[in-house]
Amino acid sequence: MEFINIFIKAAFVENLVLAYFLGMCSYLAVSKTVKTAFGLGLAVIFVLGVTMPINWLINTFLLSESGVFGIDLTFLRFILFIAVIASMVQLVEMIVEKFSPSLYNALGIFLPLITVNCAILGGSLFMVSREYNFSDSLAFGLGGGFGWFLAIIAIAAIREKIKYSNVPAPLRGLGMAFILTGLMGLAFLSLTGIDPAALTAAK
Amino acid sequence: MESTGKIVTFILIITSIVAVSLTGLRELTKSQAAINESVFNKRAILSAIDKYLDKPTAQLTDAEVQTIFSERMEQKVVDMDGNLVDGMTAAQVDLAKERKKPEAERVLPLYIYNATDGNKFYILSVRGNGLWDEIWGVVALQDDLKTIAGVAFDHAGETPGLGAEIKDNPTFPAQFRGKKIYDEQGEYTSVVVRKGGARDKNHEVDGISGATVTADGVTEMLKRGIRYYEPYLSKAKS
Amino acid sequence: MADVAVKDKPKVQEREPLFGAKEKKLLVDPLNDNNPITVQVLGICSALAVTSLVAPSIVMSVAVIFVTGFSSLFTSLLRNYIPKSVRLIAQLIIIASLVTVVELALKYLNYPIYRQLSVYIGLIITNCIVMGRLEAFAMANKPWRAFVDGIGNGLGYGAILILIAIVREIFGKGTLLGFGLIGPSNEQASYLINTAAESGFGSLFAWYSNNNLMVLPAAAMFVIGILIWLQRSYNQKLIDIS
Repeated sequence: MEFINIFIKAAFVENLVLAYFLGMCSYLAVSKTVKTAFGLGLAVIFVLGVTMPINWLINTFLLSESGVFGIDLTFLRFILFIAVIASMVQLVEMIVEKFSPSLYNALGIFLPLITVNCAILGGSLFMVSREYNFSDSLAFGLGGGFGWFLAIIAIAAIREKIKYSNVPAPLRGLGMAFILTGLMGLAFLSLTGIDPAALTAAK
Repeated sequence: MESTGKIVTFILIITSIVAVSLTGLRELTKSQAAINESVFNKRAILSAIDKYLDKPTAQLTDAEVQTIFSERMEQKVVDMDGNLVDGMTAAQVDLAKERKKPEAERVLPLYIYNATDGNKFYILSVRGNGLWDEIWGVVALQDDLKTIAGVAFDHAGETPGLGAEIKDNPTFPAQFRGKKIYDEQGEYTSVVVRKGGARDKNHEVDGISGATVTADGVTEMLKRGIRYYEPYLSKAKS
Repeated sequence: MADVAVKDKPKVQEREPLFGAKEKKLLVDPLNDNNPITVQVLGICSALAVTSLVAPSIVMSVAVIFVTGFSSLFTSLLRNYIPKSVRLIAQLIIIASLVTVVELALKYLNYPIYRQLSVYIGLIITNCIVMGRLEAFAMANKPWRAFVDGIGNGLGYGAILILIAIVREIFGKGTLLGFGLIGPSNEQASYLINTAAESGFGSLFAWYSNNNLMVLPAAAMFVIGILIWLQRSYNQKLIDIS
């Protein structure tokens, strides 16, 4: 039950893009068409879902004082986390290249950009500061990734439509994307305070 | 194409350089960082009795904070039956960790401030849930053990301008000063944050517009958190 | 000082001026024509999270300038030794160690600010400006020039960060760096109307009541959007034609 709660909370209530504004660079850069956004979104779900549990294991068994080495190595956290993320992204890149060359071409340079997607590292850092356990961090990773996926699909769809609208020239493209994201963020504020745990408990 | 050997050597060299230099830097800064952290925590505790200090917490120097703690502050640990735990000081208790234990096994930090004029202040620590994440705070009681001398709150991630006002807006914690945690019959009531404005001037304070969930979190946190100290408080009174 | 720096890199054949026109362009370009945030769209995340107040934004800018400058310098020094296939990981290791240095330094120098910035210090690693400049510039240029480019981009980033923070703090809290500027002063404000100016003479525009929208992260999106609008109105060549 806890698993589903954290998943739903991470995907909707605490959406990484629209509530915390993490992972904006690739979110803005790759959201011009729904098709590429879809591919990148899937890749983010995968990378987040895999890296969070791995980073949890590293943090608990290697870095913490009660870990294998018995000393507090948490100051090396950034380096190890980012190394795990970078290798996972490399793995995804190889998989995508093998099974879907067209998607690989479409995503182009943005796949390596997942490494520097703040949402991925941010997820791992949130996991540490919120003291999640193993299954919590898996749920948070998958839920957070799913939320990111939804957000990028939504903005891409809006941006495809808005191309046909008469936006003032200096605001066209990037400027409009920022304002749209701000509006979507405000809309997502209405979800704050929803506590899935309380909903299920009431049943 | 580079040979695997070259790649591995490169990575090994660069990681060992980085690891050694970072470890060195950390060893150099470690003790000062630990002092900074403890001063930060001590300031948070002192901010509950801000009004009764010689000058506001924000204007105290680090050295002055340390002096107050070494000369005027008793650091006790209380268990759930109200007995003092020997051999522990309050700074060793991490409420975030205690919250994960079963209620009966928890221990609570208790700071007692001996003011220069002979008054005593009992500073309790509470912790609960806000809208997004955990909230926590300190509650200072007067010598009579039922009047609040001051409170201070903090939070992990409440919305700025809304829930975060429990910390950012000095008028919110200021309302708690002088409120009673017991009613006239001596029953435990705690203090309630009332949406739309306080009605009972002894036991209620005004809420924050737009931050009902955080405010309810504060109410719940105080009610439960102060109750944990109740066995101790009633023993101390008699 | 200048002589020492030149002696450090004897490989330079023709003696170029240490800070010539090219270096100046590298330093100034990112402030407007090639701004990391409004033109290259890099490093947005932290731009939004910490900009509700000016003070943490300044600390964040300094941290980013430090990291962009020195990561460019080190990457450029190592550029001939880094194996192509692991270059991303090598760059990330350099960046992550510099960010760890920033974290340790903040813990040492100013713990309250460290607590305020919390996870966002770590997120400098994934600030795309840093990585972007390493890939685009430092991997192909001499150390000194890469360093200047890194500092320039850090400055361009910091300028926007502080600009957004100034707008948000004045309209959201009525203060600037914590000093009351506009809106009612503390005594006049009621807590049911939310925030009051924290201190000082804040009664210049006593009728002004703080705009809570400005404190929300979403407001940063609007402010950046409007900044881009203004910038592109002046600088027509940046307009998106796609």
